[in-house]
Amino acid sequence: MEYTEPVLLTRDLEIGFVLNNHKKKIVYSDINISAGKGELVALIGRNGVGKSTLLRTLANLQKSLSGEILINSTDINELRRIEAARVISFVSTEPIRIANLKVFDLVSLGRFPHTNWAGRLKQHDRKLVQEAIRLAGLEGFEQKPVSEISDGERQRAMIARTLAQETGIVILDEPTAFLDLPGKYEIVRILNDLATNTGKTIIFSTHDLNIAIHRADKIWLMLPDQIISGAPEDLVLTDRFADIFKDSELQFDVHKGDFLLPVDFKGKIGLSGKGLARLWTTKALERIGLQVAEAGKQENIVAVNEKNGIIQINLKTGDKKNEFSSIYQLSLYLKKIFSR
Amino acid sequence: MTESKNIQGRLLSRKHLLIFGVLLIALVLLFLLDLFLGSVRIPFSEIVRILISGEGKEEWVTIIYKFRFPKAITALLAGVALSVSGLQMQTVFRNPLAGPYVLGISAGASLGVAILMLGFSSLISASNILNIGNWAIVSAAWIGSGIILFLILMVSMRVRDIMTILILGIMFGSATTAVVSILQYFSHETALKAFVVWTMGSLGHVSREQLQVLSFSVIVGLGISFSSVKLLNALLLGETYAISLGLNVKASRILIFVSTSILAGSITAFCGPIGFIGIAVPHIARMIFNTADHRILLSGTLVMGGILLLFSDIIAHVPGYDTILPINSVTALVGIPVVVWIIIRNRKYAAFS
Repeated sequence: MEYTEPVLLTRDLEIGFVLNNHKKKIVYSDINISAGKGELVALIGRNGVGKSTLLRTLANLQKSLSGEILINSTDINELRRIEAARVISFVSTEPIRIANLKVFDLVSLGRFPHTNWAGRLKQHDRKLVQEAIRLAGLEGFEQKPVSEISDGERQRAMIARTLAQETGIVILDEPTAFLDLPGKYEIVRILNDLATNTGKTIIFSTHDLNIAIHRADKIWLMLPDQIISGAPEDLVLTDRFADIFKDSELQFDVHKGDFLLPVDFKGKIGLSGKGLARLWTTKALERIGLQVAEAGKQENIVAVNEKNGIIQINLKTGDKKNEFSSIYQLSLYLKKIFSR
Repeated sequence: MTESKNIQGRLLSRKHLLIFGVLLIALVLLFLLDLFLGSVRIPFSEIVRILISGEGKEEWVTIIYKFRFPKAITALLAGVALSVSGLQMQTVFRNPLAGPYVLGISAGASLGVAILMLGFSSLISASNILNIGNWAIVSAAWIGSGIILFLILMVSMRVRDIMTILILGIMFGSATTAVVSILQYFSHETALKAFVVWTMGSLGHVSREQLQVLSFSVIVGLGISFSSVKLLNALLLGETYAISLGLNVKASRILIFVSTSILAGSITAFCGPIGFIGIAVPHIARMIFNTADHRILLSGTLVMGGILLLFSDIIAHVPGYDTILPINSVTALVGIPVVVWIIIRNRKYAAFS
């Protein structure tokens, strides 16, 4: 099956916590997943399913209950703490806002497992830190305090820190949370570039399904009873995404690659028009609860036309004809008619 | 661009060196000024001459070497030790208001001294209270803080959450303080006064032999502190990141707790609990050096701590008068404005998470 030896592989992994009374609290069992060199893996699943616990276990931050985690064919438990820190780095959801901590100093903390007792940076270390900052797109930010940069820049600084740590595997817990849309795309683009250009295995959890589907090489879909893994397209074609929100109203749209709320249609309406004007008028009509059909035999017909940024809409309802210059006006009018 | 690349990541920038230079000069000047103040007026030039050649008017040489010099050194050591342990506690607990006594070290020392002075006062006659040897007080304080340290270390071996350790430290401290209050309630007036005087702190009761012990302890404590700068830097990011960088968090905490206890514990044993220096100085150092790197911050805090306690001691002498104020009140009056200012400017200089 596998064409290359996986960098990270789990065998019958069971994750969870050991409670004070020595009882086990199992979060998830029978985990058999893998990630290859240079792969960007997105971990997707609902809140509370155990994504963070899985990532923390893979990052050697907590012990597994049973089973194996193999890093380059070596059991993770056989690695000393410092050795593990040289192969896996981690970015948590916890925001770092330490006053007076400069971006350069934060990134150079990534050299921790490689430097001497005093943490002295040699010329080689400094070069690596500078290179990490460049790869994360933070040139010119070296002397800025991390408490005074934006959330996205801070997240990039945390990623730069993992680069300075020079690990083959980078694990990030929801790196796109708290970011605005361009910020989310930027982070995932950087992760994608890093996986492709540096051959690192990068694993991240996210709720931004759309971005994950477009950018990740592999998806670990963490359902309550099993983890399904494969290329995002495989999961779309086999209709596995629909299983995530099975108990909610959300439906997975296989064309858009995203979840949508289903709409109950109050009526039908005919639409004629072309291109973008037609596409967006369709969206507007569906939003107000009208199913769009070909103009042909419908009782009510919308004709839309856009030229040089001017929208022209004609509505024929029975014998009445109306004209509108914006979709907003049209939707107000239609809402009035169909609420009767 | 190439120039800025060379500056990036160099440990000490030119600016930092300049600041260190200025601070060291201030430290030396304050040290000399501290020697200058006292009930007997000795000309400044004579002090310098006595210090350099060891010769001068016999009476003055005695005053300088027997009294003022040990006291100034004690002030220096106390300032350095308390500030460095304060810095360590603020980093380990990721709390800007943590200080050397957050682990309950001062409460433990008070309990030791209270049991000695107040508890035994019912056994020995009241007139003998004041004859309790200096060494006995020091030992009692050391034992008291040692017991609290032991409890804290036991807790930190088992508990991982740093906030739990912080809360337990505060609880141990409060429990000890409660016991001390009970002892105070049942004790003789003379014993009570002697104890209250101890709690006010004093830099002047350290004999030359004791000073040797104190210096040795502080040097050992500082040695451990300097050897843990890398650990402190990693702990700055919090436990999760510290582990992911390959740090043994429990062992590091224990190492740092041990050095804090040696530093703060010895100072408390010899000088009584001296407040606020340990909380205020690290913040001043952070602000002056504008860095979070402990390799610079630790040295900066150390020098700044010496400066601030020498300054407090000079104020305690009320230049021009023969009165000496209790050092603890002076450090509080010097330190509290700083702490207040930290709270007001919290977002900028003391945000830890």
